Amino acid sequence: MGAARLTLKSFAPDSDRSWRGGAARLLVLLLLCAFVAIVTRNPDRGFIFLNANNLLNVIRNASILIIIAVGQTITLTAKDVDLSCGSVISLTSVVAAVMMNRMGIYFPFAIATALLLGIALGLINGLLITYVSLPPFIATYGTLWVVFGFAYLILRGAVVYGFPTGFRFIGNGTAFGIPMPIVVSAIVFAISYFVLYHTTLGRRLFATGANAEAAKMSGIRETRIVIIAYVISGFLAALAGIVLIAYTNGSEAVVGATYLLPVIAVVVMGGTSLTGGQGSLTGTLVAAIIMAVINNCMNILAIPAVWQQLAVGLMVVGTVLIDRWAGKRG
Amino acid sequence: MKSTTLSFLVRVPSAAWVVLLLMFIFTTVSGRYLTVGNIVNIIDQNSMLLIVALGATLVLLSEGIDLSSGSVLSLSGVTCVYVMKYLMLSGTSNTIAMFAGVLVGLLTGVVMGAITGALIAISKLPPFIATLGMMGVAGALSLVAANSSAIYINNPVFVFFGSKLDRYIDWPLMGYVSVPTFIAAIVFVAVWIVLYYTSFGRYIIAIGGNESGARLSGVDIIRWKWAIYVMSGLLASLGGIILAARIEAADSIVGVGWEFDAIAAAILGGTSFVKGKGGIAGTVLGVLVIGVARNGLNVIGMPTLWVPALTGTIVILAIVFEVMLSRWKERKRWVRQGLR
Repeated sequence: MGAARLTLKSFAPDSDRSWRGGAARLLVLLLLCAFVAIVTRNPDRGFIFLNANNLLNVIRNASILIIIAVGQTITLTAKDVDLSCGSVISLTSVVAAVMMNRMGIYFPFAIATALLLGIALGLINGLLITYVSLPPFIATYGTLWVVFGFAYLILRGAVVYGFPTGFRFIGNGTAFGIPMPIVVSAIVFAISYFVLYHTTLGRRLFATGANAEAAKMSGIRETRIVIIAYVISGFLAALAGIVLIAYTNGSEAVVGATYLLPVIAVVVMGGTSLTGGQGSLTGTLVAAIIMAVINNCMNILAIPAVWQQLAVGLMVVGTVLIDRWAGKRG
Repeated sequence: MKSTTLSFLVRVPSAAWVVLLLMFIFTTVSGRYLTVGNIVNIIDQNSMLLIVALGATLVLLSEGIDLSSGSVLSLSGVTCVYVMKYLMLSGTSNTIAMFAGVLVGLLTGVVMGAITGALIAISKLPPFIATLGMMGVAGALSLVAANSSAIYINNPVFVFFGSKLDRYIDWPLMGYVSVPTFIAAIVFVAVWIVLYYTSFGRYIIAIGGNESGARLSGVDIIRWKWAIYVMSGLLASLGGIILAARIEAADSIVGVGWEFDAIAAAILGGTSFVKGKGGIAGTVLGVLVIGVARNGLNVIGMPTLWVPALTGTIVILAIVFEVMLSRWKERKRWVRQGLR
């Protein structure tokens, strides 16, 4: 027992260093904000970016990114990427939307179904990775296309919009003056932080990612841990989908497709290692806000969507390159 | 006797069983399925996929993955048609414009492959991240170049790449062979020669089997790994050019999802991502699984919207079947050796 404890402890993340990395990223974020504020300065309307409404908007967009990216951080900590997150957002939000609007089902049931569906999709990913032993990026890339195919099948390219008021509260309402997406993402972040850094499950996630063989030797059922990680990711993607459509008040099959690349960029930028065993939730948090700021800047400057996509693609490659060159992680 | 039958059953690749099973199901469901015309059609329609999948197989053999091939396919089609159209509008003859366009298209693939390869081989990025990023970049570039839509082209010489051979050669049976199929066959032979009769091919398999072992025995890992992705880019662009010639237009999103089909075909064909196992002969079967599934679903009258989701599901199930079967074979081999 004692020996197992010791092994687990040796895998435990140095939360102090994680905070320091977060602080460095915070500095980057502040500099970026200053830069964006100056770049987007309008002679008539002044610093548009620093407008309270705009800042709130940035945080709100970031919070949806945070919810997905937290899931991605957890799968990367335990094993590898989850490329299917975008499609999971699409399918779960489409299912919830159809249940509420076309079938007239009371919205909490629609939400519950969507979340369960997210869990089921995560389970399928986890089973494909552990029991069929497909490499994670191939398994999740496969589910990406299949799940998107079903999302497309359900809505046939149509858009469903106009949800019940109760449902819209999740995306539109405020609790104690704070917009709900921010509240939801804060809760998700707090719980995930606690689980990842202060519970046995978190230790096991880190241990499995760092060295699956050693983790197995020290009595961790690593297949189960990997499955749990992908289930969490599926659940969080579904949650993000619900918050997203509650905010935008509309759902379509391609709603999640644009999230894959930014989420990968965010997680890598946040300092989570792509080889497993190192996940930094604080880094992910700050990186998600950085990403939202960059998006907001491009929107204010009215840069066309395709150029934004190009920028995100370059950012994925660029952040990994910088990560490699900085040589912080092997 | 029984054991030889069994060993024969086991030796036949699992993808062949899947193809036979699917064809059996579709034949029973629809009388219009098993006709010469339809079989020729399946082969013709999937020639481009085979070309792209051969590139994906080479990458998988070296323990990498190329998620950018679909976007590179779109981009090369767009650049090819863009240049061709520009030259034709400025008065160049159709033939010269065709050659220039095709050259630019292939060059696009090579350049994108070279960038991806450099990121992976020199900067040592994980292949799926580097190619995922390049997928975004190439996809966005093709949207920008084609202004988010399609560019139509009307070049009688360019149509060659998408037509049947009997338009050019007056031999019997030539109506059954299309130019895409013909090119795919040539590419197959070329890749076969490269993979099994050149040192480059040996190095691909060596890198996939044991990278550090290959490095220690003097293989220039960086150069050859880079070359693999250039190859994959080149083959993807060839697929894109043929596709553009077939539909006489370059669509900026035509390649979306092709990388999944290509990788799935390679895996279905028995190429394994762990030990450099597999080969390109199986990839032909893998392409057939996807092609037969998609074509069959259309022929038996499945609504178009169902086809992508169902094809994907069939492919995933077939991959699971393939992996399970190869693991079972492996265990059987161990048991036999243990008994001896």
